Amino acid sequence: MLSYFSNPQRFDQLARILIPIFGALALVLFGVGVWLAFFNSPPDYQQGETIRIMYVHVPAAYMAMALYAALAVASFVYFVWRHALADTAAEVIAPIGAAFTILALFTGSLWGKPMWGTWWEWDARMTSVLVLLLVYLGYMALRAALDDAQQAARTGAILAMAGILNLVIVKFSVDWWSSLHQPASVIRLDGPTIHSSQLWPLAIMALAYTCLAGWLILYRLRSQALRRRVRALQRRRDHVARQREEAVS
Amino acid sequence: MSALGAVFVREARLAWAGGGGAAGPAAFFLAAITLAPLAIGPAPDLLAAIGPGIMGFAALLSVLQSADRLFGDDHGDGTAELYLLSGVTPSWLVLAKVMGQAAATLWPLPVIGLVGALMYGVPVAPAAVGALASLAAIPALSLIAGFAGALAAGIRRSGLLIALIATPMMVPVLIFAAGAGRAAFEGDERALANLLLTLAVSLGATALAPFGIAAALRSRLA
Repeated sequence: MLSYFSNPQRFDQLARILIPIFGALALVLFGVGVWLAFFNSPPDYQQGETIRIMYVHVPAAYMAMALYAALAVASFVYFVWRHALADTAAEVIAPIGAAFTILALFTGSLWGKPMWGTWWEWDARMTSVLVLLLVYLGYMALRAALDDAQQAARTGAILAMAGILNLVIVKFSVDWWSSLHQPASVIRLDGPTIHSSQLWPLAIMALAYTCLAGWLILYRLRSQALRRRVRALQRRRDHVARQREEAVS
Repeated sequence: MSALGAVFVREARLAWAGGGGAAGPAAFFLAAITLAPLAIGPAPDLLAAIGPGIMGFAALLSVLQSADRLFGDDHGDGTAELYLLSGVTPSWLVLAKVMGQAAATLWPLPVIGLVGALMYGVPVAPAAVGALASLAAIPALSLIAGFAGALAAGIRRSGLLIALIATPMMVPVLIFAAGAGRAAFEGDERALANLLLTLAVSLGATALAPFGIAAALRSRLA
């Protein structure tokens, strides 16, 4: 299936169908999710109305991590099978993932102020997400610095794959690090269970985020593929023009 | 093995011939730990408490400082191609290269780290543990810097890019190495665990990073 859709034309046909589907789904799910999260779910018995930040924050954090996994998988597929489309996918996923990471950090900070009394707490999870942002930035900076498209693709793939190994070790080490100085006053959300009245809006928002990310990625993938074709056509036109000039002279 | 020995020696001699050898990282390290108290203030208790952490942090920066030289020149003058064509296993070769540079340039870091920690008012035992931990961290730090350096080889002003790529990868080794000194200072029995974890990261990096560096080097010649 992988190689079936790595054909640019087939991918284009598929993308043309999937883009509106993902877009419409995202729109509907966001409509329902936002309505549930902000107007039709009970305030938390401990956190009050600020619990509503969770519905924006948790899906963003989940997307930040899921998209890095997708970036690494796309890089792996490119590295092994050399499908150009997989590389383009990695290229377009990175900035979207970084944007979700920034959103997660930002909303987490907004949530932390009323709940923990501080904008930023050096706890294990927040620090890991901050490191994740650095990993995204490093990947994007490396790709941007390499002019040769093939070098950027291969080198980026190696970095993205090393990054997943690194993030696992970072997660462990940061947990270890914060356990040396565990702040005692932090109130945490993760009680044993989350009530279904909160779970539903959260699940719908998570789906909405997923559809939004899918829509953005497919849209950007298709425009990148089109851009490649335009470049190829331009090159051919220039080539033909040069040949004509030579024939005239 | 003689080819690897030659690469090791060549790298060590190059570091002394072109880059001032161990003087560069040592001077940088000294400058960094001189500036920190000027920014933080001279309160002895505070300086003693942060001393082990500052030593680990400054050692990390010193390793990054020379990371662009390792593969940048080889990429520019074609040596990297010759390395890959030489028939010697590339991962062994890059390991010898990274270790050659590290052995020639980074050995003063634990020594200055020990003296620096004492200057910050850290007692002798935790200062020694911190120095030992930074010694244990050097293989991991220089291999990670080598990996980032190989990815960014030959890019103009690659220093910043290398730092951005290498920093997230250096998080674990920094945590364990600085944590060893910190725990020893606080009388926490986890100092030994931290020291051993630092060693574990260094061993893991020695086992894995050469493949990554070799792949990175090859990808930049494609």
